[in-house]
Amino acid sequence: MPAPSHIRNFSIIAHIDHGKSTLADQFLLQTNTITKRDYRAQLLDGMDLERERGITIQMHPVTIYHTKDGEKYELNLIDTPGHVDFGYEVSRSLAACEGAILLVDAFQGVQAQTVANAYLAIENDLTIVPVLNKIDMPTARPEAVTAEMETAVGVNAEDVLRASAKSGVGVLEILDAIIDRVPCPPGDPKAPLKALIYNSHFDTFKGVVIYIRVMEGSVKIGQKIKLMRGNTDHVVMEIGQFRPTMVPCQELTTGQVGFLTAQVKNIQDVHIGDTVTDAVNPTETALPGYKVPQAMVYSGLYPVDNEEFEDLREALTKLRLNDSSFSFVPEVSDGLGFGFRCGFLGMLHREIIGQRLERDCELDLVHTAPNVTFQILTRSGETIMVHSPQDVVDGGQIEEFREPIVRINFLLPSKNIGDIMSMAAERRGEYIKTEYLSPERAIITYELPLAEVIYDLYDKLKSVTHGYGTMEYELKEYRPADLVRLDVLVHQKRVDALSVIVHRSTAERRGRKLIQKLRKEIDRHLFDIALQAAIGSRIIARETITGMKKDVTAKCYGGDITRKRKLWAKQAEGKKRMKQVGQVEISQEAFMSVLESDD
Amino acid sequence: MANTPSPSTDQLTPDRSAPWLEPRGLYVHVPFCAHHCGYCDFAVTVGQDHLIETYLEALALEIDRTEVTTPVDTIFIGGGTPTLLSPDQLGRLAGMIRRHFPTRPNLEFSIESTPESITADKVAVLADHGLNRFSLGVQSFQGHTLRVLERQHSGDQVTPAVEIIRRRVPNFSMDFIFGAPGQTITDWEHDLKRAIALGSSHISTYGLTYEKGTPLWKQRESGDVIALGETDELALYTMSHELLGSAGFEHYEISNFAKPDHRCQHNEKYWANEAYHGVGVGAVRYVGGRREHNKRNTKDYIRVVFSGESPTFQQEELSPFERARETLAVQLRRSDGVSRQAFLHQTGHSLKSIVQHRLAPMIEAGLVTDENECVSLTFAGKCVADGLVSKVVWG
Repeated sequence: MPAPSHIRNFSIIAHIDHGKSTLADQFLLQTNTITKRDYRAQLLDGMDLERERGITIQMHPVTIYHTKDGEKYELNLIDTPGHVDFGYEVSRSLAACEGAILLVDAFQGVQAQTVANAYLAIENDLTIVPVLNKIDMPTARPEAVTAEMETAVGVNAEDVLRASAKSGVGVLEILDAIIDRVPCPPGDPKAPLKALIYNSHFDTFKGVVIYIRVMEGSVKIGQKIKLMRGNTDHVVMEIGQFRPTMVPCQELTTGQVGFLTAQVKNIQDVHIGDTVTDAVNPTETALPGYKVPQAMVYSGLYPVDNEEFEDLREALTKLRLNDSSFSFVPEVSDGLGFGFRCGFLGMLHREIIGQRLERDCELDLVHTAPNVTFQILTRSGETIMVHSPQDVVDGGQIEEFREPIVRINFLLPSKNIGDIMSMAAERRGEYIKTEYLSPERAIITYELPLAEVIYDLYDKLKSVTHGYGTMEYELKEYRPADLVRLDVLVHQKRVDALSVIVHRSTAERRGRKLIQKLRKEIDRHLFDIALQAAIGSRIIARETITGMKKDVTAKCYGGDITRKRKLWAKQAEGKKRMKQVGQVEISQEAFMSVLESDD
Repeated sequence: MANTPSPSTDQLTPDRSAPWLEPRGLYVHVPFCAHHCGYCDFAVTVGQDHLIETYLEALALEIDRTEVTTPVDTIFIGGGTPTLLSPDQLGRLAGMIRRHFPTRPNLEFSIESTPESITADKVAVLADHGLNRFSLGVQSFQGHTLRVLERQHSGDQVTPAVEIIRRRVPNFSMDFIFGAPGQTITDWEHDLKRAIALGSSHISTYGLTYEKGTPLWKQRESGDVIALGETDELALYTMSHELLGSAGFEHYEISNFAKPDHRCQHNEKYWANEAYHGVGVGAVRYVGGRREHNKRNTKDYIRVVFSGESPTFQQEELSPFERARETLAVQLRRSDGVSRQAFLHQTGHSLKSIVQHRLAPMIEAGLVTDENECVSLTFAGKCVADGLVSKVVWG
């Protein structure tokens, strides 16, 4: 059992691709936490999706041992996600640490999200250990990037370590620096148990596995514990550490990080940020916890086959066990039948959830166009939160239509400032300020409607800056705007799932694009199909998909009947995978096409 | 299960002697051809004329083993090119059929043939055996179309063949193919007008289909021939409908036109999903709700039959509901359409239990009519019958 003086808890703040997973792998290898034989790249990236996409949303926690000056230290790495969608996850991971490695690519330099997360760490009183990664790359520019780190995050140039996670250079020096610079965990080992729940996952056999950081006291097997928020008591069945697999131990004491199970069957009883204490001898005050994450983006998820509705509910419930940051409520659409309106932290979060549902749960889903949460002040003085275009009340009842505005920082090459300014202007952005990190790099700040941001801004930023621009934003406030609901009519029938809320000035352009895309995606039918975009009863754009005029094979004799029957049945089977809107079958691709950005 | 109908008033007990269970038609397949036409995917045998005698022996065996429970009223000898056989062989073939299968009054007895294989002797021996209908594979009168289709005759051979046939068998039909690469609407108009002028009582017009694996399909895949577009095909099909209609032909099935009282009664059994016997290589029979396919290779067929085994290589027996669906699908090809009463009687399922609410939009779109308890396709509906049938019957 290590004394708190020989424990360090830290996380890694890094931008996507700056080498976080590779560095973590090196920590495991160079401290012999795993052998070369067991090694596989991005070992701590639990989800297949993460390994496949090569990006890390959040790594598994891991406990490693490192010896410095003859003393053995227990180091716990608790990761933070690097993407703009997951700011909330960052804050809860940081609360379990005393230090953070600020990992920056020696060529690409500081990125917007890195800055935001570094400030979050500083606000949480974490000690920053700045590291330049990829210093052995021929394109590395360590001096310039170090200067950026000084300007952007306020670190001292002499504190910046240099490493190459790929070749393993400078890795142990980073661990030495953590021991030297990061304070050991505070807290009284003799005090009543007080542990922070910083994550959880559901295990079919063990129930909820609760990830904890012990702040005070200690926890043992067989101890009776209390989850303070729900005031529920449980008996500890198992305790352990992540090394990196779950390795059982007898006790976790002050400063240590690990997991416990207590046969908690219902994940709703376990709240991230909650405090675990001793049931008999409880601590007086709970830890402050976290602010509840705010869903920024909403969209509908519908099973292609309506009979899979209950399966979808079950899958969503399961996913929520391990991801409390998304929410879902049942909704009904004329066109799509029964489904759920889901709230996500952002577009990436939405995409990941969708992919996991389709892959892990083998569900065919229709995703409706994403939207932000709008507000409507009605004539009667009531304020309605609009999570779905369906919630928009009749125009006559609207006193004020409001949309969320974010304060957004773009960190980008200075030469792209003009491009970003045009982009922001087109999207109703309000300029705030520009700061130069160096003559080549700047942070430019705008206030922009969130709806414009989620629509296509990230892709546009990446394309105009050739991948060098990054962005980060936070919700500022709701402001009134001239918003309208743009409806799509297919064969005279409004497809509620295709409705979007847009600014009036862009409605016509959006409407035209939308139905042009739809036209390409909907198969020809036996009759002409009219596609229309409308605001209220006013049609602003129209396209026609002409009907099939000739679709008949001539022969139908004895043996042909069997063959034809199979063909017909197969054709019908294929169509069943589509959604029936009135007389028209619409594929999932057609729905997705509505979301793609303009060219 | 939304598709399973309730067993109450929708279901009736099947009648074992009903025409959809007990065959009243006979199909006999003769696979031999002088040439394998580029579009054809039927069971045909080319350059194997030395097998004809053995084949007839095998056929005699299969016919002898066929159980007959009721007389037939239609016989159809198809191919291949049945009239490739010599007069003597045709006589023996017709003889073995007539000896084994008792017939009803007003028997329709047809044979398929080609202009170049017709002789007066052949027509005579068939007519002597009661054959009373010829189906002549003309396909086109245009040289360039016949060449694309790899037919072995010229347009000029048709009239002499018709004259030979008509001396003994006044009732004849002509088969045409439309939509061949390079075919124009004027070509097609000439073809149809000549067929009418020659006194054909029945005309079948088959839209060219590129059957997978056929030489023509391969040519299209490699870009050597270019298929007609949808608009052109539609124009040709519309031309048949209008021109033949005004000449007194009834468009009684998707690909078939007949003068009054001259429909092909044998084929009508297929489109009613009624039972029929089938003998010969590649033949299909549908007896007691069970559909069986014979082997498609002539030598295999002969070998198996001689060894005393059944030449069947595939068989299926559908559930009553699937059979009802199939019945609806084929019956929709007829201009007479589907009588709700007769359909319930034949299948044990109501039409409504199959189509549910899928008819109304088709009626609204002008593709289907539903009048006097009878559902049928309009001309526009016939043009898109495949997609329509799939949608209406299978949902």
